[in-house]
Amino acid sequence: MAKVHNWQLGRDAEYPYEEQRPRRQWAIVFDLNKCIACQTCTLACKTTWTSGKGQEYMFWNNVETKPWGGYPLGWDLNVLERLGRQDWSSNGEYLGKTIFEAAPPHERVVHFNPSDEDWMYPNVGADDCAGGTLDGGAHLDRATHDKWFFYLPRTCAHCTYPACLAACPRKAIYKREEDGIVLIDQSRCKGYGECVRACPYKKSLYNPYTRTSEKCIGCYPAVEEGYQPQCVVNCIGKIRVMGFISPPAKAREDNPVDYLVHKKEIALPYYPQLGTEPNIYYIPPVHADPRYLVQMFGPRVHEAIDRYRKLSEDRKTQGLLCLIGSTDRIIHRFDVRGNVAVAYDDASNELVRVPVTEPMHERPAYDARVGAIRNNTP
Amino acid sequence: MTRTLRHSSQVLAFGLLLGAAAGCKEVPPEPAAPPFDELPAPTIEELVVRRVEQDVARADPSASFWRDVPRGSVALLAQPMVTPRPEATNTEAVIVQAVHDGKAVAFRVVWRDPEPSVGGRLGEFSDALALQFPSNGKDETPVMMGSAEAPVHIYHWRAQYQRDEEKGKPEMATLYPNMAVDMYAMDFKEAPGGTKAQKESFLPARTLGNPQAFRKQAVDEIVARGFGTSAVQAAGAAQGRAAWKDGRWALVVTRPLAVPERSVLKAGTESYLAFAVWQGGKGEVGSRKSVTMAWLPVKLQ
Repeated sequence: MAKVHNWQLGRDAEYPYEEQRPRRQWAIVFDLNKCIACQTCTLACKTTWTSGKGQEYMFWNNVETKPWGGYPLGWDLNVLERLGRQDWSSNGEYLGKTIFEAAPPHERVVHFNPSDEDWMYPNVGADDCAGGTLDGGAHLDRATHDKWFFYLPRTCAHCTYPACLAACPRKAIYKREEDGIVLIDQSRCKGYGECVRACPYKKSLYNPYTRTSEKCIGCYPAVEEGYQPQCVVNCIGKIRVMGFISPPAKAREDNPVDYLVHKKEIALPYYPQLGTEPNIYYIPPVHADPRYLVQMFGPRVHEAIDRYRKLSEDRKTQGLLCLIGSTDRIIHRFDVRGNVAVAYDDASNELVRVPVTEPMHERPAYDARVGAIRNNTP
Repeated sequence: MTRTLRHSSQVLAFGLLLGAAAGCKEVPPEPAAPPFDELPAPTIEELVVRRVEQDVARADPSASFWRDVPRGSVALLAQPMVTPRPEATNTEAVIVQAVHDGKAVAFRVVWRDPEPSVGGRLGEFSDALALQFPSNGKDETPVMMGSAEAPVHIYHWRAQYQRDEEKGKPEMATLYPNMAVDMYAMDFKEAPGGTKAQKESFLPARTLGNPQAFRKQAVDEIVARGFGTSAVQAAGAAQGRAAWKDGRWALVVTRPLAVPERSVLKAGTESYLAFAVWQGGKGEVGSRKSVTMAWLPVKLQ
């Protein structure tokens, strides 16, 4: 195996192929504090891409409740259990083994193969609470309490080191040079299901009708035209933004994804310890059990939450979070001046301009024009 | 879940024909094959392909004719060269017989498999067997999938493909009888003005012509030029027919002797053969298989 650099682990790691980063890398950042699991992203994806035969069960984008939910069932527990206990150093370097490094000699990755029942219950665990003791039921009688859950929207992470690509014995999976999107060649795939077994996030799915495996295509036809994917532009909570992420050394202060991940460091990859360098990033939920968050996002999660809690003092990040969801075009550059945040495309054309704080309007209680009392009924 | 995979009328007719021609005075009762397949077979260093007068193009695995054809055992090992590979050998040997009629050659292969698997649903894989020939007829061809300079010609039988041939490609309602589906949006494109491309817009593998996504014949013809290069070819004249019984598959694959530009066998000469077996029930698919580790010389009478 080759040695490749994985900045998420702070070290070099093993991978079956040489390091070859694309010219640009597709990435999505999600603010988990805002997701309400309305599944609009899921349906936007479903109606766009997976309405055919053999795709009935397929969700290239899904939203599951953590810690109990999972699509397929227990995907995260299964891969973590097979990997076994692994540790991080106090300075953020990963001391454990990745799924490639821990693979037995006859396999390319540590993996498991979900059964079809595992895929059939995408809503198991939805809205179920964790935390504290639940003996005899829980009664929330205080402003603060130890019950928690959060929603986790997931797409393919278009990993820098995809396990699906590594595992395909036919080399039918490729990563695009122009945007880092990982695709299964539908003309060459023979449906061995090695990618389904290997992807630790379980985002390669077998289509029993076409007898090939399929996965999230990053909405590449939209991306090629400068538009963000369907799951992003249809997000009613404006919790997510798609852009291009640079490696840390090339990170740009005015690139939205670079800023949130590398500069401000409030967005983190999930389960980076698996070693694929996934390119979906999460602003962690501030209220969940920190031990669980460390397992999912690594040891830097505490600092990320501290920074997020202080956003009221940070106009620039506030401005950027207001730009998210305000344009369906890909934001290549942003700028926040005073109370105005502006987004630009890759040719520096202005895409959208939004106020960081909406102006406040006060209206008299009585509307003389129509002769009625106004009220604030939503 | 025993599944009958043969055409009984064809089997009987061919059995009678070959049985009579091979000099049998009486018609042997069917099916008498299992005890026969349980007999020990000697390990062979080469496979002699007996010449017969009958048309072998539609030979069947349970035809009594095969009782008079010599049997030989060939050892297999878990594919050792590329990952992912099986941790242990699941198929330790195949027992092989062969005849030709001057135009076509029939190979009968028997191997142990505790349960028949035809695949279909998620995480299910099909039992399968492949016969591999060097395109140049020489044993210098790498026995593991050939090379760019020395390709190999493969006949790949799958139980799943045989089911396709016999019963059609299964619909989703067959694979998942209890599944509820409101509608397939693109089926409405069958209405006037709709196109096939629109209707298949959610079936990318089909739109791109991937043979995997269409109804199959029992045997795929493949050319490979090294690991990971296997490419399904336009259907040739090959046929495959197998039946599973009492923990064994018995399969007959027939192919024309000469398949120009893929591999050519000729009466009175020698070529080479290799095997691969997949046990779908043990999760074997793709590179997870048992294979012969060297070419088996094939002598055509």
